[in-house]
Amino acid sequence: MFTSLQIHLAGIFLKIFLRNRQAILFSLFFPLIFIGAFSFSGTSNDPFIIGVTDESQSPFSKEFIKNLEQEEIFNLIEGDFESLQSSLIQGDIKGLILIPNNFKDIDNLGALKFYVDASQTRQVSVVQRAIETSLLSVERKIRNIEPLFELQLEDVKARPQRYIDFLLPGLLAFMIMNLSIAGSGFNIVEYRRRGILKRLFVTPIKPKDFITSIVLARMLIVLVQLSVVLSIALFLLDITIIGSYLSFYLTVILGTFIFLCIGFALGSLAKTQEGIRPIVGLVTFPQVILSGVFFPISSMPEVVQPIVYSLPLSSVVSSLREIANDGVSFMAFSTSTIGVLIWVLISFVIATRFFVWKEVAK
Amino acid sequence: MDILKVEGLQKSYISPETKEKFKAVDGVSFFLDEIQIYGILGPNGAGKTTTLEMIEGLTDIDGGCAKVDGVDVSLDPYAVKQIIGVQLQSNEYFDSLSLEELLKLFGKLYGNNINAAALLEKVDLVEKIRAKPEELSGGQKQRFSIACALVNEPKVLFLDEPTTGLDPQAKHNLWDLIKQLNHSGMTIMLTTHNMEEAETLCHNVAIMNKGKIIAEGKPQELIEKYDSSNDEKGNLENVFLYLTGREIFD
Repeated sequence: MFTSLQIHLAGIFLKIFLRNRQAILFSLFFPLIFIGAFSFSGTSNDPFIIGVTDESQSPFSKEFIKNLEQEEIFNLIEGDFESLQSSLIQGDIKGLILIPNNFKDIDNLGALKFYVDASQTRQVSVVQRAIETSLLSVERKIRNIEPLFELQLEDVKARPQRYIDFLLPGLLAFMIMNLSIAGSGFNIVEYRRRGILKRLFVTPIKPKDFITSIVLARMLIVLVQLSVVLSIALFLLDITIIGSYLSFYLTVILGTFIFLCIGFALGSLAKTQEGIRPIVGLVTFPQVILSGVFFPISSMPEVVQPIVYSLPLSSVVSSLREIANDGVSFMAFSTSTIGVLIWVLISFVIATRFFVWKEVAK
Repeated sequence: MDILKVEGLQKSYISPETKEKFKAVDGVSFFLDEIQIYGILGPNGAGKTTTLEMIEGLTDIDGGCAKVDGVDVSLDPYAVKQIIGVQLQSNEYFDSLSLEELLKLFGKLYGNNINAAALLEKVDLVEKIRAKPEELSGGQKQRFSIACALVNEPKVLFLDEPTTGLDPQAKHNLWDLIKQLNHSGMTIMLTTHNMEEAETLCHNVAIMNKGKIIAEGKPQELIEKYDSSNDEKGNLENVFLYLTGREIFD
């Protein structure tokens, strides 16, 4: 399948890479930091603390407080108004409910007061809703009426999914894109600028052999790097890949091929490292934002969705996500898998068309 | 059979400054029918490097033809590349590879498994076998660059300004190496602006100016023909200045 020259050359490129320790560390550093940071935001939050001062000590207030205590999202502490108020000001508690003295007489109930730190808008709205619900259920009890509606929330897929489960396939696709484009595009530009390509092409090497060996070496490098990040995620963050690893890695390999080819094409557009940076930025940056790495594409305005779905990174992200989160097989040839295959073709054509060999040697 | 046969070679470029087409090489012809050292002299921009690169198969030929050992470069560039050795003006290599690894790599590109130590011995660098090119001095770098050009035991060796930027010791050392290679049966074609180099090394020289060969012959013949100064011995530098003028080229 590969000639001995191609394998030897690929070995040389691997050797060059392995001797550059800095590059290895940097390529792993970024995705690991990301995973680390997002893994914390994905786990359940510590409940925050709400103070309550009960000045009425009535059956209503007792019932109300009992209801509130069942809420999981915050913890309730009781205390006198002055000390709780100073806790609120210092930020030790997020809100303070004052049950007034006249919270007794059913015909003349005094209004509850909710003191908040207005900067904590998210917590405030959650607490406010909980207070309202709690008041409603107390009211029902007193008036002796059954609730008319009931809401039960159930996950259709009947399995827990955290943000990190959603994020990981996106991050891996993002990593594939960066490593591949850097591996082909940046290297080619540097080899050309320093006259290394020219030196190679006075020997009888064929362009095909050169490209094949770079793709081979880079593919191996990306697969190893990706596997390192993936295993860390699997073991430390307790993530599961629901689909088969075969499907997952097949998509990874095709994704790497797509971005290596795009890298070769971009590498032929620029003459210097300074020149290629903005070009690569122009191609990768919008994709990182738009392609559903961090949030689902379906949450975007409907007008832009068809365009966004047709980006190469989107295909790879959705394909990996389907396999990892929903257990879809590569052989099912879903829309995103077909998208990946189409991009394999497009990128290969672009790379070979743009990559003019005589000019490369200049 | 002619070792090297170049007929009416032409190459045009669009000038980046004036946006006009200009002829970098304009009908260059020469024939080398025996093993020798052949020098192309000329001011900067005369078309020396472009001429070499067309023969080496690095640059497309616009007109004319070049044959190395009977093989037409335009028709079969890979066959030509198999039998020539090339040293370029810039000599940079892949990072973090030793001289030995680089030589083996270049050997592989020709399908050969080479003995790196023996090759480095030839250019007096065997003690640097584990060094990296960036650790070499200017003269050592040039000698290594020649070693890389020898991995396929070429019939014709092309050297593009091999001694530019070298100190006198390194320069003479390199001249000895070039002579030695020639004595072993290799035809060497070099470009230079160093007239002393041309006089010492070359059996024949061609003087190029503005894309054309304006004089060709043995150095001594050219001196006798064109040097009208009153120097007792005469030299190639006077010939060069007489033929190419005294204005400054950039």
